[in-house]
Amino acid sequence: MNLLCLSISHHTAPLEVRERLWFSADEIRSFLPTLREHLHIDAAMFSTCNRTELYAFSSDERPLEFDRLRNLLVEGKSARDIPVDSFRFLTGVDAVDHLFRVASGIDSLVIGDVQILAQVKEGLLLAQEAGTSGFLLTKLFHAALRTGKRARHETRIGEGAVSVSYAAVELAEKIFDELREKTALVIGAGEMAQLTAKHLRGKQIGTLHITNRTPERSKHLAAMVGATVIPYEEFKNHLGGIDIVIASVAAEEYVLTAPMLAEINKRRTAGALFLIDIGVPRNIDPAVRKLENVFLYDLDSLNGLVHENEAKRRNEVPRVTRIVAEEQSEFTVWVSGLHATPTIAALTDLIESIRKEEVEKNINRFDPRDRELVDLVTKRIINKILHTPIVNLKNGSDESHSERLHTISALRKLFGIDGEKDAEHEA
Amino acid sequence: MGFFVDSVNILLPAFYFVVVWTYGKAFFGDIVWAKVTKSHLLISTVSLHFLYLLARAIEFNHPPVTTIFEILSVLAFCVAIAYLIIEIRSKSGETGYFILNIAFFFQFVSSAFIRDLLEVPEILRSNFFGLHVGAALLGYAAITISAVYGFLYLMLYHQIKASNFGMIYAKLPNLETLERMSYTAFKMAFVFLGVAIFVGFLWLPQTFLDVSYSDPKLVGTILLWLLYGIGIAAKRLGEWRGRKVMILSVWGFGITIFSMTVVNIFFSGFHNFY
Repeated sequence: MNLLCLSISHHTAPLEVRERLWFSADEIRSFLPTLREHLHIDAAMFSTCNRTELYAFSSDERPLEFDRLRNLLVEGKSARDIPVDSFRFLTGVDAVDHLFRVASGIDSLVIGDVQILAQVKEGLLLAQEAGTSGFLLTKLFHAALRTGKRARHETRIGEGAVSVSYAAVELAEKIFDELREKTALVIGAGEMAQLTAKHLRGKQIGTLHITNRTPERSKHLAAMVGATVIPYEEFKNHLGGIDIVIASVAAEEYVLTAPMLAEINKRRTAGALFLIDIGVPRNIDPAVRKLENVFLYDLDSLNGLVHENEAKRRNEVPRVTRIVAEEQSEFTVWVSGLHATPTIAALTDLIESIRKEEVEKNINRFDPRDRELVDLVTKRIINKILHTPIVNLKNGSDESHSERLHTISALRKLFGIDGEKDAEHEA
Repeated sequence: MGFFVDSVNILLPAFYFVVVWTYGKAFFGDIVWAKVTKSHLLISTVSLHFLYLLARAIEFNHPPVTTIFEILSVLAFCVAIAYLIIEIRSKSGETGYFILNIAFFFQFVSSAFIRDLLEVPEILRSNFFGLHVGAALLGYAAITISAVYGFLYLMLYHQIKASNFGMIYAKLPNLETLERMSYTAFKMAFVFLGVAIFVGFLWLPQTFLDVSYSDPKLVGTILLWLLYGIGIAAKRLGEWRGRKVMILSVWGFGITIFSMTVVNIFFSGFHNFY
């Protein structure tokens, strides 16, 4: 299998190197045809903040040259000075294994990263748009997508929040049933407040209010996440109707004190009050933890949840690795069957077994003197039927290599040779 | 028929044990086969239990609610079927292990001590009796379910408060769902117990000449009913929410079990006048 993978990732290079080789979707669309033009290969690639991955397949018998591929990649981004050891270079089965590991999320910086699968899919779509995906790479990416989906469905690799802001929202979901019926207030407009507000909006929080000392920043964040602004001086008056409070402001003293929240809690008739304090120094008096139906979390407790989730995901890696190995084995078996010679042999065996079975079943109907003739005639018929397809398979007629693989695959599928799997359909 | 009743009486606790064990495997061990088979096992067990109660009624010619141990078996059946309905409606089987343990316990005690009662007083064949006992049993089943969900709520509440994000945190439904499930059963317990008490007050004086209003079962049930009424009123008025109502539901169950046990130990019948 003349398959090659060129990878630069958080395993091999620091961010300042990776960012120089980050490709936008438009850049990938224009780069892939250049590759095909220079190297006559099928190619697909995807680029994220943590990795840029290029997969190439050559129909040429000579192995692909890593340096030529790398040179084209770095020249495209004017990054010739990036050292060679920033790259990983994988071929054949190793390249397949690598892509499957990436798609399943176990090669990600954040183990079980859910976005990578969409990025692999986008990589395939971009290659298809550029006309460089080819038959084998398309099948490879479909198998990778299937591996990623299996990893997520059959294991817990993607479960549990692994960022503080998302952990806060996940905790809210463990307290409240329907976030769309709840009201949240974000105090502050910094980066953490923004992220948490976005996650809450993503979970379809019913009503979202923003308050901040600087009204302009409140308005900006409110516009970004579809929230309403409450003036900072007035937000305490609204706390009676709030279910979730996210506090993230720079303040020397507690913004929400225990006596204040005790008084509000007494007046509340609705369910729990969920408080997230991601301010440093802390914005909410820790004594409110003692209040009934009030849940308070600060950065330390959220980090604890994140670390536990990370550990749980790491425990799932061996199960995902087994899925990767299964899929890799299945794919390599499928690829090895795509050669003309084994396909011809399998097809001939199949037809011959059918002929033999039918002849044996009906041979007693013939006169004993004719039986040898029946055997001979049926063999001749089969040979004549198979002659043209076999010659075409051997010579490949005028097809490109990719088209030829497609033909062989279609033939195997039509005749049910080796239980050909429709990877395309499943992906 | 007698052989069937006797055999199933022995088999039922074993069936419930297997069901609880399978639900436990699915909850704690995350075992795939357990997740797939647990509901089927429960349906089979509940069906067998129904046939058992039916066969018992036919064989002994009276509804199987004439002794405390027959009542425990019906209660186990009510709890199991109520849970099955909850599981099907909510499409969530995470709480089965906790609820079905109660059904297993009730059936185990019932199977161990149940006796065949061929002759029962004619009074126990009355429609009022059926309504009285039926409503009371549904009330007790609701009390049980409310208490289990209340208990799960309190466990999860304390785990979340203590930032203990273990298995209970990961697998149980959220607090609001547990509270809603418990409170729904809580309200049903109040309604059914109310019906049982009301029918009892109408029917008992006509049937038993020596009916005593100081009967501990009667007094206990009325107090329990009043307690549930206070809980509902406090919740509706916004005075109580979350934890307090859940604590009450757990206490309600405790009082019920205590009241049943005391009556059973100190008196020959379900009430002191019967």
